[in-house]
Amino acid sequence: MKKKKMIISQETMDVDFVRKVEALSGTSVRRCFQCGKCSAGCPMATFMEHPPNRVVRLLQLGQWQRILAGRSIWYCASCETCSTRCPNKVHLASIMDALRKLSWDAEGASKESYVQLANKLFLQNIRTYGRQYEMRLAAVFNVKSGQFLKDLMLGPKLLAKGKLKMFHRKNKNLSEIEKIFSRIEEMRKKGEAL
Amino acid sequence: MTRPNIMEYSYYPGCSLHASAGEYDLSTRELFKKLAIGLTEIPDWFCCGATPAHNVDELLSLSLCAKNLELADKIEGDVAVACAACFSRLKTTQHVLGESDVKRKQVEKALDAPLKLDGKVKHLLEILAKDLGLERLAAAVNKPLTGLKVACYYGCLLTRPTDVPDLDCVEAPTIMERVIEAVGAETVPWTHRLECCGANFTLSRPGVVLQLTHEILDSAKAAGADCIMVGCPLCHGNLDIRQKEIEKVYQTDYNLPVFYLTQLVGLSVGLGSKKLGLDAMIVNPTPLLKEKKLL
Repeated sequence: MKKKKMIISQETMDVDFVRKVEALSGTSVRRCFQCGKCSAGCPMATFMEHPPNRVVRLLQLGQWQRILAGRSIWYCASCETCSTRCPNKVHLASIMDALRKLSWDAEGASKESYVQLANKLFLQNIRTYGRQYEMRLAAVFNVKSGQFLKDLMLGPKLLAKGKLKMFHRKNKNLSEIEKIFSRIEEMRKKGEAL
Repeated sequence: MTRPNIMEYSYYPGCSLHASAGEYDLSTRELFKKLAIGLTEIPDWFCCGATPAHNVDELLSLSLCAKNLELADKIEGDVAVACAACFSRLKTTQHVLGESDVKRKQVEKALDAPLKLDGKVKHLLEILAKDLGLERLAAAVNKPLTGLKVACYYGCLLTRPTDVPDLDCVEAPTIMERVIEAVGAETVPWTHRLECCGANFTLSRPGVVLQLTHEILDSAKAAGADCIMVGCPLCHGNLDIRQKEIEKVYQTDYNLPVFYLTQLVGLSVGLGSKKLGLDAMIVNPTPLLKEKKLL
């Protein structure tokens, strides 16, 4: 994908997808004039193959597959420096959110599994317990990602400092959170929400 | 003994404050009690969804925050938030749902209830600096933090993006400096006040976090700071819990205690080590505080 020559034509530009990104993020990619301020301030740009300004340029050209096939969107830390500094009010952090959301169902999207796994477990925890329980999150993440020994040395220290809670109280209104999750799923099934 | 509270708030602690940032919760409650500011924890609050929710599912993130605002609405007073990420998400939700009718309708449907978004959401810094006011805060001080050089670390989410949190200037905020100077400490100018610490990559990509936090700690040390002050449990986790690891990987020695703002302010109004949870910090602050005659 990376080395493939980019041909810009009506056939290769998928503007429908870009419209979806714009609707979800509430921001227009056409406002960007490529000043590069987003990438200059991005703390994660060195880890990305497409730095933030290029992500927007690729969207302008309808070449979203190139973005989703890479790891850029999964290295964004959501610090919002880009959105803050954009002179044209392109909300790049929201564009990154929209791209991650749309990558669920997109063909050829990369599986940056560690970040996706962490996100998935985080949301599962909310659905099941209403709140985040860091110890459970870290333990399950280590098991599922096969890194059994990751941060093992931190564990006893954190326990001794009372920073890891072994037991927790469940919310009394847990059924409400389940309803929110299932209503959103239903809306998506009916096509009422992206 | 009991005097009436001068202000009342509903309190949204957030998940971290009930676990890894227990000392932030403890010191917040103790400090506010001392200042006669009432905090009523919102019963059965939910996780705000933090970064992972908006990262992959904005509608869910907005719905979770709207639900929390609805729960907060039942309690008198503005919403006091300690965690920078919760603060950012709650404020962003109010902003986005105020601007977009489509999203507002979707969230209404997800909650199956009319939205109650009007409650004012305030970070603890805002309550100390604006609602209580620096003069009243300074008047409560009985042990000024004289001679303590503090590097104030804002991280990402206290001030960004431009039009949302409305806490202070987005690129050159001074609210942390103003608060801590009001209680007698010195602040240092430094380069990495607003740089990202890598936040929740601490779980999925600790290597990235080490690289970013190493630069932050380097900068604070070079500026001559004795310690760092934060207002976010994730910044704290990355700078304090991982500090020994960073020292090992980058072969340096920082020994920079990382305080929550409520711990330092609490110290200045005469609260003791136990009430501020100082023993929960990984980088031991006792030698520094003894040297400065603050403990």
